[in-house]
Amino acid sequence: MVRADSERSAAAAAGPAPGAPLARLRQVAITHDEAHVATPASVTFDVSPGEVVLVLGPSGSGKSTLALALNGLIPHAFPASIAGTVSIDGVDTTEATVASLSTHVGMVFQDPDAQLVTGTLLDEVAFGPENLKLPVADVLARAETALRRVGLWERRTENPDRLSGGGRQRLAIACALAMGSPLLVLDEPTANLDPRGIDEVYAALGDLVAAGDRAVVLVEHNLDAAIGFVDRVLVLDAAGRLIADGPVDDILRHRADELHRLGVWLPHSALAALRLRAAGYRLDPLPLTPAELQDALETAPARAIPRPVARAVDDRRGQDPVVTVRGLDLRRGRTDVLHDVDLDVRRGEFVAVVGANGAGKTTLVQAIAGVIRPPRGTVHVGGEDISRVDPRRLSSRIGFVFQNPEHQFISHTVFDELAHGLRRANLDESQVRRRVDELLERFGLADKADAHPFLLSGGQKRRLSVGTALVAGAPVLALDEPTFGQDRARADELLRLLADLRDDGTTILVVTHDMQLVAEHADRTIVVDAGRIAADGPTSEVFSDDALIERAGLRMPPLRRALRGLSSHPELDGVARLADLPGGAT
Amino acid sequence: MTEPLTIPQAQTTPVPVDPYAALRPASPIRFLYGINPLAKLLAPLPAMALLVFVRDITTPLVFVALTYIVLLVGVSFTRRLTALLLLVPVAAVVMGLGFAIWTDSSGVDHSIVLWQIGGWTMYGGAMLVGLATGARVAAIVSLALIVGLSTTGPDLVRASVQQLRVPYRIGYTALAAFRFVPRFGYELDVIRQAHRVRGSHGGRGPIAALRRWVGYIVPLLAGAIRHAERVALAMDARAFGAYPDRTERHLVPFRTRDVVFIVVFLAVSAAVFAATFPWVLA
Amino acid sequence: MRAERYAGQVSTGSRLSTSVLLTCAAIGVATGVVSAGAGAVSGVVSAAVPVLYGLVLGVHVLPGVIAQVLLRMPWVALISHLLAALVASAFVPPWIGRYIGTAILIGGLQELIAATGRYRRWETWRYFVSAVIVGVVLAVPIALVADLGRFEPWAQVVYIAMFIVGPVAWSAAAVAIGEALRRTGVGRTARRR
Ligand SMILES: Nc1ncnc2c1ncn2[C@@H]1O[C@H](COP(=O)(O)OP(=O)(O)OP(=O)(O)O)[C@@H](O)[C@H]1O
Ligand SMILES: Nc1ncnc2c1ncn2[C@@H]1O[C@H](COP(=O)(O)OP(=O)(O)OP(=O)(O)O)[C@@H](O)[C@H]1O
Ligand SMILES: [Mg+2]
Ligand SMILES: [Mg+2]
Repeated sequence: MVRADSERSAAAAAGPAPGAPLARLRQVAITHDEAHVATPASVTFDVSPGEVVLVLGPSGSGKSTLALALNGLIPHAFPASIAGTVSIDGVDTTEATVASLSTHVGMVFQDPDAQLVTGTLLDEVAFGPENLKLPVADVLARAETALRRVGLWERRTENPDRLSGGGRQRLAIACALAMGSPLLVLDEPTANLDPRGIDEVYAALGDLVAAGDRAVVLVEHNLDAAIGFVDRVLVLDAAGRLIADGPVDDILRHRADELHRLGVWLPHSALAALRLRAAGYRLDPLPLTPAELQDALETAPARAIPRPVARAVDDRRGQDPVVTVRGLDLRRGRTDVLHDVDLDVRRGEFVAVVGANGAGKTTLVQAIAGVIRPPRGTVHVGGEDISRVDPRRLSSRIGFVFQNPEHQFISHTVFDELAHGLRRANLDESQVRRRVDELLERFGLADKADAHPFLLSGGQKRRLSVGTALVAGAPVLALDEPTFGQDRARADELLRLLADLRDDGTTILVVTHDMQLVAEHADRTIVVDAGRIAADGPTSEVFSDDALIERAGLRMPPLRRALRGLSSHPELDGVARLADLPGGAT
Repeated sequence: MTEPLTIPQAQTTPVPVDPYAALRPASPIRFLYGINPLAKLLAPLPAMALLVFVRDITTPLVFVALTYIVLLVGVSFTRRLTALLLLVPVAAVVMGLGFAIWTDSSGVDHSIVLWQIGGWTMYGGAMLVGLATGARVAAIVSLALIVGLSTTGPDLVRASVQQLRVPYRIGYTALAAFRFVPRFGYELDVIRQAHRVRGSHGGRGPIAALRRWVGYIVPLLAGAIRHAERVALAMDARAFGAYPDRTERHLVPFRTRDVVFIVVFLAVSAAVFAATFPWVLA
Repeated sequence: MRAERYAGQVSTGSRLSTSVLLTCAAIGVATGVVSAGAGAVSGVVSAAVPVLYGLVLGVHVLPGVIAQVLLRMPWVALISHLLAALVASAFVPPWIGRYIGTAILIGGLQELIAATGRYRRWETWRYFVSAVIVGVVLAVPIALVADLGRFEPWAQVVYIAMFIVGPVAWSAAAVAIGEALRRTGVGRTARRR
């Protein structure tokens, strides 16, 4: 915490000795203020120039924390203490300032909005070099190079607000590039982007890596997109210890089972391959991308496995619609967001709503849930016009889970948060207590009953928000992006919970960008494109229309991409769900 | 800060007012845009301060008239300008009437009776006192419009940094904070929706409304501060505050014309005050 | 002891961290919502019931008190006010001068009061003392503009009283909000140094 003497940092800025690591971490353990254990707990590795390193680990293992330590934000700007040493170009980060380290390590964070400071793209990229007191000509030269590399130079005079989510994230990458740092650290840069935005960001990153002049440390849950250009993988376990460090092949291909058990995401193709292996297919080495999976299957010896029975149509599902939407037009502010939407959802269905960023998905489900009031007579839930339901009784008709759980918390303890809906229904206090205890148990929050909802972990907040939407016993539940930012174990847990609810007869509507989730769980998929329903039908049918998927800015679920048009294994052709693969539960 | 899940939607609604947009003078005669924001801020200050002590109606009216001339010449003619120029006198008259009603009638001229309701009389003297107050407020407000209508927030911030030596870290924090406005507005909307859906504090009437609003404050502020902390990390990661100063690409110079503007403004103000002394109602 | 102090100064450069500045900005902007509401009604109030104006004007104590309760640091009140004013003026440029004047006046007073406790004592009563002083200081020039001497005597009393009651009541609200925010765990990053 002592400011580096300027000579030292000046010497370091002159660049690394050839072959020396850019970053050198030795037994790094980081403890957040007010936390009891260190996450990460013990991490030792080097990053060399030009390397692309992927960091994996379950939620809470300390990946983001580690990222913050790489440029000295920990310990200098963030309330956490660090043991062990992090040195960047030979300078211990505790001895240098964040500002001097920023010329060595560029950062890109998750939320593009939280990285914007100025009013135009050009000013934004110039912000860092200006802080470094570079001459104006250099500032402009750097800004131009950086903007060109991410393909945004033409739009330099615009307000960053006007970019799409993917565009803003590319801008954040340009800003990091303009710092001139040889190491770039990205923490979940694509969470919450639509598939096209993700592709954009990874295309920009791919170009960067191909140029070979920057090393990259990438924290990412979505491996399907990232796997293409990663050299090396680091894995943290739940306690934040480094348990694997090596080339992609060694780690992802050879230790996939172990990683899977840890609860981290693997590429969907690898997940599928694990299952197929269990069913006796010879898939060696383990394929990681849809293309590899397809190739591997084509060469694998054929097996006499009967085509798995397609899941029988669920007969618990009634035929009567619980939700009907007729001629719904909706304006928000000055934009027409929805145009003439017609829609039916039957009791017990699991419906996915997909579409590009800004297509109107959130608006649609919010109108259905009465969160924003639709025009009279356009939306009926359980036979009642939702626009006329008293807001106080709304939650017993349809529950809505907001994208950011914090927005919907209204009490000071977890217990009160759940009890709120019951107390409103005038249940007596002993009944309230019983119901709430039941729910706390079910959601694994029993030991957090007295905690402030804002102090829960991300996954716990999400579960609590689902709990609050459920407690009033609504027969329909709508969720906006429920799994984003979750690790695989948490996402699975949430989806199991939804499946259980569905088995109990609850109708479920989910907005999501995760196409594999849609393929796995949704009976039906609704594609929203520029405020209109572009498609509405059984999930498998929707995904069989390539042109539609392309037009709506979506992507095929990875498994489907891998297994389509397979010539050698007829039993696998067209399978889209992991659960439908032979091999049973992994 | 690093909790995984709490990132609000990556998209906020488009900003209705772009606080960063530059103001472009339509023609050279619209001279106010070319004056340094600080000159425009400071030049009217003495007049505004002195107006506080003025009691007559002529002095403020002269200032209103002078300001209107400066504005009509100095800034582009827009609908907003027209609206404001119309609004100020109307508001002044309304306010004047209001003040007239509250004026203690014992101390005013009783020679003219405007109207009588029951035992209560509105005297011409009281009306004059009220209208003088209205005119005073109108003068102060329109003097403030000189800087207000011809300056952008970012330029004011830059001028404060470049001339007033306001620490640039504070100035640039303000620039970053302009983005908070639409973002928090959007978050407030979502919080209101969420609370409504949860059926919190239903009911009509001012008490219920008040309780509802009280319920929004803490989530809004907590979300706002979390967001601010993230922005701070992103700024630190880009060397914000590395040196006591930073490269400045947008210069807001303080030139001879700014001095001339201030001097002329002060001279005219002084002349008006001198002419209308002792600033009391007839 | 002296060496320790010196080290502390070197590490922070005796300046506020970026997260303190941005936290203040967030408080300023978020309370700006309330001030905007107050601004909207203030015209009506000062025309219809000018004696209650103090009650409305009192909201302007919010940013400083919330910042001080949450962060307990020097300068945060003044900076919250200043940033709120700068941001507000970008959106409602006509009032630039007014915003900045009010910010410096109220924020500066709140700083002065906190400075008397050497920024180490943060008992709640201090906020109320500063509220009363703010009320008095605001009441004087505004009374002059409004020509208070011409009001009915009882109206004069109410008018002045409201200038005290307003800031005190809003300070009480701000203290409650600040405490509630502490319970949510925000501001730890900024409070660190
Ligand atoms: N500001 C904070 N204060 C206290 N503890 C924190 C804070 N931020 C994170 N933690 C804790 O530190 C641990 C590591 O968090 P971190 O955010 O680094 O995990 P992560 O691996 O990035 O998880 P995810 O995949 O969910 O993003 C977690 O147990 C988390 O609860
Ligand atoms: N409150 C609002 N005022 C004005 N326009 C709005 C508002 N909310 C959303 N919009 C606009 O409506 C359109 C649809 O927004 P919506 O949030 O429904 O999209 P989405 O499909 O959920 O996108 P994402 O995938 O990014 O969450 C967008 O263009 C958005 O800018
Ligand atoms: Mg993380
Ligand atoms: Mg959405």
